[in-house]
Amino acid sequence: MANALFYLVAALSVIAAAGVVLFRNPISNVLSLLFAFFCLATIYLLAGFQFLAATQILVYAGAIMVLFLFVIMLLNLAPGPNAPELERVGLAMFLRRKSGVTIVIAAALLILGTSAVLGTHDTAVQAAEAMPKKGLDAITATPGSSEGLAGEMFGRYLLPFEAISMLLLATAVAVVVLAKRSRPENS
Amino acid sequence: MTVPSSHLLILAAILFSIGVAGFFLRRNVIVVLMCIELMLNAANLSFLAASRMHSLDTPGGRIDLQGPIFAIFVIVVAAVEAAVGLALVIALYRRKQTVSLDDVVDLKD
Repeated sequence: MANALFYLVAALSVIAAAGVVLFRNPISNVLSLLFAFFCLATIYLLAGFQFLAATQILVYAGAIMVLFLFVIMLLNLAPGPNAPELERVGLAMFLRRKSGVTIVIAAALLILGTSAVLGTHDTAVQAAEAMPKKGLDAITATPGSSEGLAGEMFGRYLLPFEAISMLLLATAVAVVVLAKRSRPENS
Repeated sequence: MTVPSSHLLILAAILFSIGVAGFFLRRNVIVVLMCIELMLNAANLSFLAASRMHSLDTPGGRIDLQGPIFAIFVIVVAAVEAAVGLALVIALYRRKQTVSLDDVVDLKD
């Protein structure tokens, strides 16, 4: 049951990711990406990472996607009377100059990644692979997985945690400086 | 879920490749940023698949937490990247009234 759900959601996430590349309207791209993020959150939940699934929905779907939508609407990029012309996608995108190289690179990455996974003969990995994987069924068996996560985060990874808080502060300042309208006397 | 972790890794590879293709094929800066988000998500998925590969589900078994921890860091970096990237898009639009990469070739010419 859970396995069938995984394959269904995986297929849906691939379709949604293709939609991000192939849709013409930026709003459709955002909604497609949102759907892909929800699919990935479902996969995290099925694999037993409840905290990550919640974070995925809160941060990605809740914050980042709203930011994208906000910028698209602020810049009036959705189709409408005063909107700029939409870019040509679909077949025209693939026939553009130098896009063949891109297709080759993406296909090579895909083949490389897949064959690296399938061709691995590491006995440790295979032994780990043979362990029972219960995922969602194991949630009750391992109570407080977010407790363990918090213990690691504020113990062993305290320094990276503090570094990332500095990064967030620097970002807040940088975004204000970048997006601020320059004063008339300066321009 | 008893799906082998290698299938999670293959899904991550597929999503990453779609992200790479979109990154190079699309000309709208905002869609390019979305493709970067997609690639970061694929990286997250492979972190979690590796973590799942190295933890034991049996009661009292060792649970690998490095994968989820680094996935959280990746999510934070993705949020930062989106914020800075979109601020740059707004600055670009204010200066040139465009979001198309075809119109931003000043350094190339």
